[in-house]
Amino acid sequence: MAKKEFSFNEAIAEIENILRNIENGDLDVDTLSVEVKRASELIKQCQKKLRSTEEEINGIFKDMD
Amino acid sequence: MALPDFYWVVAEISELKENYAGHCYLELVEKQADEVNVSARAKGIIWNKRYLFLKSFFENSTGETLREGLKILVKVKIEYHEIYGLSLVITDIDPSFTVGEMTLKRQMIIKRLEEEGVFSMNKELCFPAVPQRIAVISSKNAAGYSDFINHLKGNLPGYVFHTSLTESAMQGSETEKGIISALDKVSTNLNLFDLVVIIRGGGSQSDLSWFDNYNIAYYITQFPLPVITGIGHDKDMSVADMVAYKALKTPTAVADFLIDNMTITENHIVEMSVEIKELSRKIIEENRNRIEASKTALLPLARLMISDQKNTLTEKITEIVNVGKEYSFKSGITMANQKSRLYSAVKSFISDKNTIIQKVRLGLIDNTTDLLSRNSIRLEGSEKTLTILSPENVLRRGYTITSLNGKILKNSEELSINDHIVTRFIDGSVDSTVIEKKVRIDEKETIRQPDK
Repeated sequence: MAKKEFSFNEAIAEIENILRNIENGDLDVDTLSVEVKRASELIKQCQKKLRSTEEEINGIFKDMD
Repeated sequence: MALPDFYWVVAEISELKENYAGHCYLELVEKQADEVNVSARAKGIIWNKRYLFLKSFFENSTGETLREGLKILVKVKIEYHEIYGLSLVITDIDPSFTVGEMTLKRQMIIKRLEEEGVFSMNKELCFPAVPQRIAVISSKNAAGYSDFINHLKGNLPGYVFHTSLTESAMQGSETEKGIISALDKVSTNLNLFDLVVIIRGGGSQSDLSWFDNYNIAYYITQFPLPVITGIGHDKDMSVADMVAYKALKTPTAVADFLIDNMTITENHIVEMSVEIKELSRKIIEENRNRIEASKTALLPLARLMISDQKNTLTEKITEIVNVGKEYSFKSGITMANQKSRLYSAVKSFISDKNTIIQKVRLGLIDNTTDLLSRNSIRLEGSEKTLTILSPENVLRRGYTITSLNGKILKNSEELSINDHIVTRFIDGSVDSTVIEKKVRIDEKETIRQPDK
């Protein structure tokens, strides 16, 4: 089986959570930079997934048939 | 017995064939209540000219082709042929009967699904944010399938989709079996897919009723992934469409729906990204302003504090100087006191001592005087004794002093025979020569004194 898959929904939920924390002003400047870094990583991963090459996705289907 | 020219008959088509000449041969049955066992059966014929007319009339009215499985109400004439036997020649059809039958059947399926509480189960599933891995159930040759694939893969934003086709009959009596086994196959690899689409092409309105099927609908409701259908047509929805997560009219519309969902997701991400960026910038800006404001406020405050401290310090210094002065002043007094006290103490000590010395002196003088006077008395006595004892006085009293070579002799041992000795008297001296010497002489004789 494929290794632990990147979960898009979890990533989105995490980004939303970070955004909420920033909106609520729950973060101090130190935490802010860590969280923003994390969010940008997740966003990058999400966007990569939307346009990942077909080969990458096809790899997932090798087990089938 | 004379028979009427025609009858209106209700029957189900169990078989339908067109021959080369365009005549239509049917088998008509009446089923028992179990819908399986046949209670009556008859052959039916629609002659080619009539068939052309009735066929299009029926299709236009019902949206269905004449096919096996349909219930129909037809006007028949009974004919007997020596070779082919008894048959019912169909001359007219009432499509509204079939429509009613079909509607009734659909409604019963819907009612049953609702009663079982499964009708909206697939709709209640969570739609994937990224509907990227798609299990397609369709027929490979169907125009709709290639439309779907082309449309999906040529999407403008450039999203990547993966599709995996599982083939099934999309019309005819094999539809139920085909769809169900395709769903079964997908369900063995659920983790590979985000959703299922069931599509078929090209507006064949007539075959929609194959999806008014309880088993297909039930399978869709129970399927753990969202099912999207693209089998419908403009006018109507099949039961399968009704229970699916989403029903769209064409395969192309399904592809658009998936692309739109990806776009929505991406926009959501981009919006969040922008918002995070802006908010972060704002927070950093606010913090910078706070620092600036603090800095501005801090300087005068610091100056004020420093000047405060300076004043306090000056006060302290003054205080310390004063205290010091006072202290040293007090100390001066104390010292003077001490000095004078010491001085008088020493003075009184010295005077005390002087008195004592004076007393001792006086005592000493007294004692010495006394001692001297006493000693002088004693001396006088001693003088008298001494006077008595002087050699002259001794000579006068008759004693003589004998000397040899100027040395006074105290005993006879010092003398030898023929020594010249001088004997002194008070009035002169006599020189003598020793003639005889008595060696052992009595002690008494030696120290014999003339008085005794």
